[in-house]
Amino acid sequence: MSAASTTPHSVSLAPSVIAARRRIPVAWAAYGLLAPSAVFLLAFTYWPVVQVLFGSLTVKGFRGEAHWGFGNFARLFADPHFAHAVRNNLVYAAGTIVPSLVLALGFAVGLSETTRLSSALRAAIAMPMLIPLVAAASLFVFIFLPNAGLLDHYLAYVGLAETNWLGDPSMALGSIVAITVWKNTGYYMLFFLAGLAGIPGDLLDAAKIDGANAIQRFVRITLPLLGPTFSFVLIIALLNVLTQVDHVIVMTQGGPSDATSMLLFYIYQQAHQNYDVGLASAATVVSVGFLFALSVVSLRSLERGIHHEV
Amino acid sequence: MRLLHAATLAMTLITGSAQAATELDLFFPVPVQGKLANEMQRLIEQFDATHPDIHVTAVYTGSYDDTNLKTRAAIQAGRPPGAVIMSANFVREYAINGDAIPLDSIIANGAETKGQTPAQFMDRFWPALRINAMEQGHVYGVPFHNSTPLMYYSVDAFKDAGLDPEHPPATWQEWVDALRKLNRPGRWGVMFPGTYDYLGWIVSGLAMANGGEYYNPGYGGEVYYTAPSTVGAVTLIDKMIHTWKVMPEGVSDANAVTTAFFQGRTATMLLSTGSLSFVRDNMKTPYKVAFLPRQLVNAAPIGGASLIIPRGNSPERQAAAWTLVNWLTSPEIAGGWSRFTGYFAPRIAAYDMPEMKTYLAEHPDAKVALDQLAYARGWFATYNVVGVRKAMEDGVQAVLSGKATPEAAMAQAQKEAEALLRPYVEQTALKLPN
Repeated sequence: MSAASTTPHSVSLAPSVIAARRRIPVAWAAYGLLAPSAVFLLAFTYWPVVQVLFGSLTVKGFRGEAHWGFGNFARLFADPHFAHAVRNNLVYAAGTIVPSLVLALGFAVGLSETTRLSSALRAAIAMPMLIPLVAAASLFVFIFLPNAGLLDHYLAYVGLAETNWLGDPSMALGSIVAITVWKNTGYYMLFFLAGLAGIPGDLLDAAKIDGANAIQRFVRITLPLLGPTFSFVLIIALLNVLTQVDHVIVMTQGGPSDATSMLLFYIYQQAHQNYDVGLASAATVVSVGFLFALSVVSLRSLERGIHHEV
Repeated sequence: MRLLHAATLAMTLITGSAQAATELDLFFPVPVQGKLANEMQRLIEQFDATHPDIHVTAVYTGSYDDTNLKTRAAIQAGRPPGAVIMSANFVREYAINGDAIPLDSIIANGAETKGQTPAQFMDRFWPALRINAMEQGHVYGVPFHNSTPLMYYSVDAFKDAGLDPEHPPATWQEWVDALRKLNRPGRWGVMFPGTYDYLGWIVSGLAMANGGEYYNPGYGGEVYYTAPSTVGAVTLIDKMIHTWKVMPEGVSDANAVTTAFFQGRTATMLLSTGSLSFVRDNMKTPYKVAFLPRQLVNAAPIGGASLIIPRGNSPERQAAAWTLVNWLTSPEIAGGWSRFTGYFAPRIAAYDMPEMKTYLAEHPDAKVALDQLAYARGWFATYNVVGVRKAMEDGVQAVLSGKATPEAAMAQAQKEAEALLRPYVEQTALKLPN
């Protein structure tokens, strides 16, 4: 009930316009049609957000009384495992976003002409995105198996000895980064292909007539016009960095020695292994807040760039 | 609205049709490799067929840790399962948090166990299993399947190295001497899983064989990671990797270890007795098993799982769950499950059955597992057990990878474990009279 009564605020514009013409019945119909989505949005998106905010400010020990405060945040910033997870996440972000975006753009430019061969190659590159991350991770556990796995099997032909891809703290994060790049590149490529298709051909033709060579055309026309696509893909990639955790859970459980622990996995551990809801909520608030700020900044700066160039 | 109506209608239909029988769900994990889930489904179908007044749904809930997580979530959501096959070392935490019910009164009123005290009831199980099933004198868990770590070794590798496969190493000195002979290019001396959960179990076994206790079996607020017995055990592992080089560096998971053993790339491995059937089915060359080698004493922690009844079940469901628990731990069923999996049966009476005698005669490896039970100890159990265990495992993993010395790693682990135990300790051992 409370859900239904709050909906009018969020949709005040549309019903008021319609109500001017036909009065109440249509307005009610509009509310009625929006209500199911509103209920789900409130119950499964906004209410949990509020709960997490409350949880982060509720300090409670074993059998102790709960009280309000910033104690969870103080503990969070003092926890070396949290600092470690942040550091890992930053390495993971740089290691996955830069190569997958560069590769995706490269593939998109190379395969932008539609021929039989390029269609087949596009499909092959986009294929990993069709495999659920958890299934891909389960497969890669076997591919990465030291010595007996597919990877070591083929590397042995070029004389490389057995490698403990997931069991060596200095290799494990790199292995996780590698499968993420493999998994996401095709997906990002699709956006770049769409972006390339949207660039007017006459701009490139005009530049050609003016004597611009291929590199100049790419740097001065194609790249700037792909600006909106870039900002969109970057946001998606940033979200993926924080929200994809399946492969960590399946492949390493954050180990060895915390080498592959990342923010969402840290949150999962605090909530479900140590039953520390306060700490988990505080970590969620901090990481989502950071991601939100980063998204706003990157959207703003990229959009400014776009307006300036075009 | 229509959706809501449909849902209500569906609910009525479900509950209506179930009125005759008590609906019960059993959460069960599959902690070792093998086809255990199919066999569990078969057992539950058999139970349902012979108990018309109860209808049990077997719910596969992943590993021990996943099962713990899902059980907690179900309890908090107010829809607890009727019974859970729970990792035996989590039972203490369920008791501490009040999330599992004490079974004393159900036992005293049960048809089969009428008037029995907790201690009398526990007499039906092997002594080593009673530690993890009870907390402060009350029964919280009923042992279902149990294990200990074993040394599996390849007969061919032993012969190849000039060792006698009939006399496997029994002490740490003999063990290290043997490993150094077994180690060849392309074949390691020993491997064991270094992933979370398994690693803590193996290390606690070595610490116990080194004369230690590793944790306080009587109180869930203390661990002994910096004790000489624990540091000595971790140092042994460190030397196996970095001094004698008889074990690969870094962390190997159970798949990597068994694959290496099957392919002859490791001569021995430390693995659960619960994997006996899996190894028997997959190992192409002859192998044998032996006790975990000792330094000062023969000792090994138990592993495996106990059945618990979570809080929040109605008396009717509790009674039905108890019927299921009793049936699953009966000598016939427990014995059959033991033969299928390789876990040993917790019921002493299971070994009086003719099928079991034949089985032990045919499978001497299962006999070794049973013999080691005489030296078995309780399984590491504390408040916040997963985090406290992980603190130590992170330290040992750093040692496995050559990133820390045993002393430094264990000092750090002890510090982290104590921080995790602190809230419980403050409310128990340090909560003194006013």
